[in-house]
Amino acid sequence: MSRLTNQAALPLLLALVAFSIISASGFGITELDHQQVWQCMVGECSKSIYQTILFEVRLPRVLLGFLAGFGLAIAGVLMQNVTRNPLADPYLFGIVSGAGLGATLATLLPESVQFISMPIAAFIGALAAVSLVLMVVMNNNWRQVSHLLLAGVAVSFLLSSMTSFILYMGDAFSANRVIFWLMGSLTRADDKTLLVIAPVIIVSLLTSLVLARQLDALLLSDESASTLGVNVPRLRVIILIICAASTAVIVSFCGGIGFVGLMIPHIARTLFGITTARLLIASGLLGGCFLVWVDVAARTILTGQEIPIGVITSAMGSVFFLALMRKM
Amino acid sequence: MAFPKLKCNVLVAMFLLLAFSLTSKPVQSQEELAQKAQAQEELAKQEKDKELKIIALAPHIVEMLFEIGAGQSIIGTSEHSDYPEEAKAIPRVGNYARLNIEHILALQPDVIIAWRSGTPSDDLERLKQFGLNVVYSQPQHLLDVSKEIRELGELTGNQAIAEQKALKFEAQLANIKHTYQEKRPVSVFYEIWAKPLTTVARNAWPQQQLALCQASNPFIDLATDYPQVNLEQVFIANPQVIIQPHSSDKTNPDAINWQNYQQIDGAKHRQILHPNADKLHRMSFRLVDELEKLCQDLDNSRRFYQQMSDIQN
Repeated sequence: MSRLTNQAALPLLLALVAFSIISASGFGITELDHQQVWQCMVGECSKSIYQTILFEVRLPRVLLGFLAGFGLAIAGVLMQNVTRNPLADPYLFGIVSGAGLGATLATLLPESVQFISMPIAAFIGALAAVSLVLMVVMNNNWRQVSHLLLAGVAVSFLLSSMTSFILYMGDAFSANRVIFWLMGSLTRADDKTLLVIAPVIIVSLLTSLVLARQLDALLLSDESASTLGVNVPRLRVIILIICAASTAVIVSFCGGIGFVGLMIPHIARTLFGITTARLLIASGLLGGCFLVWVDVAARTILTGQEIPIGVITSAMGSVFFLALMRKM
Repeated sequence: MAFPKLKCNVLVAMFLLLAFSLTSKPVQSQEELAQKAQAQEELAKQEKDKELKIIALAPHIVEMLFEIGAGQSIIGTSEHSDYPEEAKAIPRVGNYARLNIEHILALQPDVIIAWRSGTPSDDLERLKQFGLNVVYSQPQHLLDVSKEIRELGELTGNQAIAEQKALKFEAQLANIKHTYQEKRPVSVFYEIWAKPLTTVARNAWPQQQLALCQASNPFIDLATDYPQVNLEQVFIANPQVIIQPHSSDKTNPDAINWQNYQQIDGAKHRQILHPNADKLHRMSFRLVDELEKLCQDLDNSRRFYQQMSDIQN
């Protein structure tokens, strides 16, 4: 596939983003379709409840989908570039298992505070997982990327087993809640969620754009980057912390949305090239649009109920992953 | 002369008919009025019921609402609400894992009745934030069913019928308790799930039912309400009866074929019971009839073992 030029790529992607967000806002309950949404946008909604549904439920959800997709995709780019491993993704550190353990522990708290404590507990769990992985590899040789991967897998298994044990010993219904939460969902979307997630993703993007040229150098090899004056260990720690923080925030609100961080950077790389700055922006926009449409599918395929979003991303991601392996 | 007499008779008859029709007209209209008033009253009640728009988020809540005559007020429900037959036509607005917030908001319910354990608490919190009235159902003990029937009666304005149903339920439970409390305990294994082999203990819903039937459960003191056990433990416990509940519409292909384990008394003597899981496990009115049946079946097993021991002695 021929790569798109700078001039063509950005407007094309921005148009795709605008189209996705506007068009996705028209999917949901059948009464509030595109025509009604248009009416609400240009004037008055035909029913006041539509106003609430559109602006307080549906639009925040579409925007959260975009932000989460954006964040996971750029975290994926960073992880793949910093480890020079095409299979790296933001969940490498056992973040989902950590968040899952946090969420599980949160179910032991009284029901009345669970709404607040579940994302916070999940975030603490995710950070704990990352810290554990980093602690293991920090004393080790950083250049051994495989150690990072292996430590992530081991921590993942450890935390998952703890989660399973707590669920088994606990109330039969909390198991359902945690398992479905881990499958991912954007239903938690509201203004507050967006206000927490958006700054983290913007800071992550800006920081990584500032470090983009150093990351380009790192793509060659650690030695070449050092020769060019890059402080490789420091750069790697900064990038890993950025990825961990943004992924942990996304996971704690949206649950485990798998494979976006792995799949989108590879598609973007094929279309827009490997230069870090270009790749970051392109992957982010593409990932955002992807998740917006996956969520449309999640909430419209089955009438009266939703499919957990992580189920769809993982299903698509796995097929893509297998295709990728055939080429490798 | 016959003719003038006949003429006279006809005249009298016509006069009487006229008089009757003139006098009877106001009487008929009074009856009509009374009928009309009654119809209007019924219509008003129906409209009042219709006015209250309920979203009932669990099968047992739907069953109870229909039972107390408030079924037509339900405008949305969750999956698996399949009883009575009319419940199948109610629009689905979610399941135990996720609610469709948009759909619920668009239906504009007056009240949402949710099962605390089986409804996602984060979604309910969001609905509360939108100003919707959420009421919880959380039956923990068998008698909570009648308590909740009364509460639903208060909520829907159907107190009289709710009270009547609640009293009937309580009387049936008391009768079961009275009938079996002095009986000799019969040991049972309750297979709630086969792979992994899961049973009931402590305060689990079926365990409370076993206690009423005077059935002893060797696993009652395990750590959780629904513990997984090893088949070896069942061999050692050697229960006299095996209870393997079945869902009415489907059989579980994974269910253990206990006939393969003749070492266990229950299997050896073919004392294997298959109560209806949909009725027994659902916290609503129907459970009490099925429970009566289960207790009777267990009593038959009890008698079987008694006779066997009498013969041996």
